[in-house]
This record gives sequence, C-alpha cells and structure tokens, in this order.
Amino acid sequence: MTFSRREFLKAGLAGSLAVGTGGLLSACGTGNTIKAFTSSTTGKPRYGGTLRAGLTGGSTADTLNPLNAITNVDFSRIDNLYEPLVGLTPAAQPVNVLAEELTSNAKATEWTIRIKQGITFHNGKTLSADDVIYTFRQILNPKAPAPAAAGLASIDAKGMTKLDAYTVRVPCSTPFATLGQALAIPGYSDIIPVGYNPAAPVGTGPFRLKSFSPGTQSTFVRYGGYWQTGLPYLDEIVITDYADQTSQVNALLAGQVDVVNLLSADVISEVQGEGKNILLSAGGGWNPFTMRIDTGTFKDVRLRQAMRLVVDRPQMLDLVFGGFGTVGNDLFGIWAPEYDHSLPQRHQDIDQAKSLLKAAGAEGLHVTLVTADIAAGTVLAAQVFAQQASAAGIHVSVDDVTVNDFYGTNYLKWQFAQDYWFYNFYLPQVSLATLPSASFNETHWDNSRYNSLYAQAIAAVDASLRTEIAHEMQQIEYNEGGYIIPFFPPVIDGYSPNVGGLVPSKIGLSLNAYDFKNVWLS
Amino acid sequence: MTTVTEAPERVGPPSKAARPHPIRNLLIKRSLIGILTLVLVSILVFAATQTLPGNAASAVLLNTATPQRLHALEVQLGLTRPAVDQYWTWLTGVLHGNFGTSLANGQPVGTLIGGRILNSLVLVIVAGAIGTLIGVGLGVLAAARRDSVLDHVLSVTALAVTALPEFVVAVVLVIFFAAVVIHWFPAVSVFVPGTAPWSNPKELVLPVATLVIVVVPYVFRMMRASMIDALESDYVQMARLKGVPKWRVLLFHALPNAIAPTIQVIGLTFLYLAGGVVVVEYLFNYPGLGQALVSAVSDRDIPQIQAIVLVLAAFYIAVNILTDVISLAVSPRRRLPRS
Repeated sequence: MTFSRREFLKAGLAGSLAVGTGGLLSACGTGNTIKAFTSSTTGKPRYGGTLRAGLTGGSTADTLNPLNAITNVDFSRIDNLYEPLVGLTPAAQPVNVLAEELTSNAKATEWTIRIKQGITFHNGKTLSADDVIYTFRQILNPKAPAPAAAGLASIDAKGMTKLDAYTVRVPCSTPFATLGQALAIPGYSDIIPVGYNPAAPVGTGPFRLKSFSPGTQSTFVRYGGYWQTGLPYLDEIVITDYADQTSQVNALLAGQVDVVNLLSADVISEVQGEGKNILLSAGGGWNPFTMRIDTGTFKDVRLRQAMRLVVDRPQMLDLVFGGFGTVGNDLFGIWAPEYDHSLPQRHQDIDQAKSLLKAAGAEGLHVTLVTADIAAGTVLAAQVFAQQASAAGIHVSVDDVTVNDFYGTNYLKWQFAQDYWFYNFYLPQVSLATLPSASFNETHWDNSRYNSLYAQAIAAVDASLRTEIAHEMQQIEYNEGGYIIPFFPPVIDGYSPNVGGLVPSKIGLSLNAYDFKNVWLS
Repeated sequence: MTTVTEAPERVGPPSKAARPHPIRNLLIKRSLIGILTLVLVSILVFAATQTLPGNAASAVLLNTATPQRLHALEVQLGLTRPAVDQYWTWLTGVLHGNFGTSLANGQPVGTLIGGRILNSLVLVIVAGAIGTLIGVGLGVLAAARRDSVLDHVLSVTALAVTALPEFVVAVVLVIFFAAVVIHWFPAVSVFVPGTAPWSNPKELVLPVATLVIVVVPYVFRMMRASMIDALESDYVQMARLKGVPKWRVLLFHALPNAIAPTIQVIGLTFLYLAGGVVVVEYLFNYPGLGQALVSAVSDRDIPQIQAIVLVLAAFYIAVNILTDVISLAVSPRRRLPRS
C-alpha cells in the first residue's frame, strides 16, 4: 500500500470532521421547522411483537403495588397490570372500566358499585365484590394509608358490605357526590385480589408480569384471558429504565427502543430530524407556585395578587417548555366539567402589581422561593419567575434544594415554594389541597365561605348545581388564593414510526397513560 | 518519577533461613491495614449519609409525604433509631455476611448489586486491559522513534485527548457509531437482568471504547518517558555496542526496566476506571455499580450506598496491593532488604 500511516490518519481525521459538521448543520436546519405532531392511529392494527419502552423517572424505589404508585413511571407498569373501577378517557373524562354502574342515594352518602362479570385475574381467579372491598380496606388502612387514602377519606371502608357477588354497598361518612371522579384518578381504584401478594402481583390488566428489577428493567406478557375481546395486540412489553434523557433519546434514534417518555422540548427537532415521531399531549397536570397564606408576607392578599400579576405566562411557557403546554389562570382542574372558563385570563400587569405593593407598603419586597428538581422544568420556572418579578421591583432569591430536602420535614410548611400535581378533577383536588382538613394544604388555605361551599358541592348529586357552586369557589380562589398556576405543562413523548395506536391524552401521564393494550407494531 | 539507570547488581542469594519473604510480608501487612481502612470507610460513609438532607422515607414518598405517612415509614425503616444503633446493626449484619435490605424496595442488597458488580468489573477489566496494552505498545513505539513525526503526532494527540472528559468522548462516539452517522453499535447498553455482560459483546463496545480512549494517554505518556530513560542508559548502549538486535534491546533490555514505574500508572488507571465508570455507565445506561450508586444516593438508600462504597473501596485496596506486589516482582532490586 502506498498510503502511509500518517496520510491515513490525516485523511481519517478530515473525513470525520466533514461528517461532523454536516451533522451539526442538518441539526441546526431542522431546529427551525418542527413538523406537525401526528397521532399514530392510522393503519390497521396488527397482532404480535414486543414493544420496547425506554422510560426515565424510575428508581430502585419503583413499585408494582398499585396502592403505592407515586411517580409517572410507576404507572407504566401499573396501568398494564391492573385496571381501575373507573378510568379516564384520553380526553380526561371518567369511563367505567371494571365497574358496570355506580349509583348513589339522594344525599350522596351511600353508593352502590356493580362490577362487570366474567373478568379474571392473571392467576385465574374471578373478579368479585370481595376483591373490591379488600382493595378499599387496604387503601384506607388507618395504620398504613395509601396515597389515595386522602382523596377517598369519606369512604367508610369498614362499613362496606357485599350485596351479591358483583355488587358492593359503599357507605360514606360525609356526602361524596364526586366518588366517580375520585375513583377515576390514576391509582385510586386499581383493584387487587383478596390476599394480594406484592411479591407475585396479579391484576386484571391486559398484560401479566414476567420479571421486575426496580430501576433497571421489567417485562410483561400478553394475558390470554383478558376480558376485552381482541386486546391486547402486543405479545410482550419490555420497559427499560433510563437514567437521563440523553441515553434515552440515543436509544430511540439508534432503534433500540420503540417509545420514550417525558422528553423536554429542546430535543423535539433532533428526534424528528432522525425520522422518529413526537407525541405531544396537553396534560392537565399542574406545577404551582405555593404561597403560604397563614403567616408571613403572603398573609396580605394584595401581595399574593401582586405575585400573580408579575407572571408573563406565555413567556414562561416559551422559556420552560418551548412554547408547548397550556397557559394557566391560577386555577386547577382544567379539564374538569366544573372548571370555570369564564373568568378572565390573567395577564402580566406590572403597573397594577406595583400599585398593590405600594398599597401594602411592601415596595422592594424580598422573598425566598424554595425550588427543587421535582418535575420537569420546576427549577427553570422558578428562575424565570424571579426574573419576571424583578420588573415590579420584587427581589426573589431562588433556593434550589435537593428533592429529598424539599419533601423532607419542611414539606407543606415552606413559605414560598413549588409542587407538582397530576391531573385531578376540581372537587377531588379541593379535598386534597385547599381545605383545612386536606392532607396537602400547602398554601394553608382556610376560607370559611369556601369551606361551606365545598360542603354543599360535595353533597350535590345534580351535576349542574355542583358546577355552579364550584364556579363560586373558583371565583374566591381567583381573587384570594395562595396558588400561582402559570401553566399546565405539556407531555412530550417520542416513538418510532412503526408504533401504532398512540393518541395524545389530557391525563398528564406519558404515552396516553401508558395504555399499551391499544398499541401495535407494524 | 523513578528512573532506572543502572543494571541490577548480581548478589549471591542469602541463606534460606534468614531470607525474608518481602511479597508475603507485604501481603499480610497490607491486607490487615486494608480491613481497617474498610471499617473506617464504612464509618465515614455512614456519617456522611446522616448529614445528607432528607432520608429514604422522603425519597420514597415524594409529594405524598404527609407528616403521618413520613413518620410511619421512618418507623418502619428504622430511621428513627439513634445513628450509632443503626450503624451497629448494620455492622453486625455485615460480619454475618448480611448486607441488609434496601430501604427503597425491601430487597436484599446482595441480590440487588451482585449482578452489577460483575457488570462493572467486566467493564473495568476489559477497558483497563485493552487500554494498558495499547498505551504500553504506543509508548514503546514512540520512545523507540523518539522525535520522529510519529512520536510527535502520538504525543500531541495524547495531550489533546487528555483534555477531553469522558462524556465528550462518549457523546462523540455515540453520534458517529450509534445514533446519527452509522448505526454499527447500540447507543445504550441494555441487557436483560441476570445475563452476563460478555454474552452481549456488542453492547460493551462503545462504553469500553470510551474508557480506553480516556485512559490510553496516561499510560502512553508514562511508558514513553520511562522507556526513553531506559533507552538512554549505559546498559542499553552497552547492549547495542555488543550488536544485540534492536528489537531485542527494546523488549528484553529496556522494557523490563521501564515497566516498573508504568505499573504504578496502570494501577492508578484501574483505580481511575473504578470511578470513571460512573459517568460512562450513566451515559450508556450500563447497568453497573456506578449507576446503582447514583440511584442509591438520590434514594438515600443507606445499606445500598454502604455496600457499593465498600466494594469500590475494597477494589481500590486490592489494586493498590496488587500493583505493589507486581512492582516488587518485576524489580528484583527492591526485594532486597535495605542496607
């Protein structure tokens, strides 16, 4: 060979540099033109195949127990192993799954739940009323209440009785007209069989467990005895945990996984540029700023309103989520029928904020905002907030603590902080966050008019009456509340073009709440 | 830097009874110190975990951590007991071969990290071995052709690569060989839990290549420097004057004397690899110890942190002892009692 090693090295280097710049240029080129987001519903479903999901957000603390599900990624396993009495459609509206019918008495103090017949658990046992009673007694176990216990606290679990093999009577200690909505929240009514063994978990879901290594990998196989005829399409699901987005996106681009979850907006063009698709959902989850209203600075309602007025919401969405997502109006429960869309959208108004500060004698206000990397974009949103508030002369010092510290002993006691919530209906969310008895009343909200309205609403079986009352409650929150809700974050997932059956969902969990029974590979 | 410039003297063997066994003595002494070091490390790490904000209960419960739920889980996990008490329970467990159960998921720590130890070990040993061979080979080559164009190219390249952190090397490799330009190798290393890493050789290529690229320059530079010293020595000149073939001078006269300082660098390389795998495992999603440690720290999973740190510390101690033993073995002069 006449080619010397030296020349070879030179040529190789030059070649790789050329390829390198080419790659960079094409990446920049696609950055400006984001393609339309399509849901992958076209084409005829096909049976068979293994769906490989690369998911972030997992850890060794991951659980398969539906009663203990906490993180977004926990639901990737739970939503396929188990099924709820009531679930959510992609439009975030309640739909009966295991339940056939829910009926209440006139005062909403007693419910009768009838479940569907002929449904079996993965171990062959038939689903019956006993399993429903067992599940709720586990959730509401006073010694070890599950996360859902706070939202279902009105249910008198001890008093639940079996009317026949498929019917349960559910007495409630206080009226509970929104039981159906509450049960629809992910993880609130997933049914486990009597004598559930967390080490060998079985549910009624479309897939049964094959293996589970927390924080590493889990596999599921098609359940042949699944009750919804023709489903699922896939033979197997392999969920692999990814430590961060870089390796996750690399795996998608290299064809090692078919679907990925929880992407940030800045990788959209990279993913699309390499021929993969983006599933963009307008989630109903919300990441509020929480102002504690019972002590300190934010006891003064004028200062709370000033803080809400300094936020440039569209700009915050642009900077934190690349402009995707939905602008918020300091109210939660955006997809709920009770959500009040008639209240005027709040815009940034520095002049009014300044005059409120002046009236309160708090010009040049100093506050500390406690933030942590608890959900996508929280820390960035805190920094943007600090920047925007400075226009009104408010000095916000951002205290970025660890997630453990954030949820440690000071959680629910911070003066000014953030939090994240998955989508919930309006009144069930109130019972968790804005009542003196609520478990997560992080703003320490306690308004007597509001409390009595809630008591009326929760007893109103008539939905239109309930909505009317709920609107008055939202009016109060809009004018005096301790939450700043600037946006509802988008949910951005990625998938290969050969994955069919994925639709955007408003639930706020990734990949249409990980509903893999409707997914196929072509 | 140690320079070996003189030929080893020939000394008659001492009488058998009086002859000390330096390697055995070193092994015994250093092993005892090593065990003491491990105990101290475990105390330090335990103390460090106590000062971290939050605990395993808040890491598990996240935003469902109401005071009642937090307290209940803390009691269940034994986190409300005094720290000394917790440490003592852990230590007595370890002495009985029981590393405890994970605070995050209740599984035994041994089964959680057993497979990961193997995965990381394979990564470190394969990368270390390949890196050492390439580094030593190129070092000898550069020294033999000192001041040639090849030598300059290698030296400048080595210097440039030294300045690149692992994550840059890894990202460049992924872009070129996995995700964007050509799709030869997997971009991430995913194996089914329970399978050995060598049954998925393709998954090992890029993580190993990253580590090799990062460690070769160090070995190369050390090897080149000590080889040049050796080549300038009197005994090499003597050998050349006697007409010994050039390759023989290089491999049998100069190399054995130049390798001793390089062994120390190779030892350091392996120690560096034990730490360097953390970043590489994270980037390639390689299911090893580094990744588990990152996860355990964020979960405040003390038994798992303790076990992983002890494994890493034991590896450090073992490599240090091994390096010294090999150094002794290749330089007979140092085995003699000092006079």
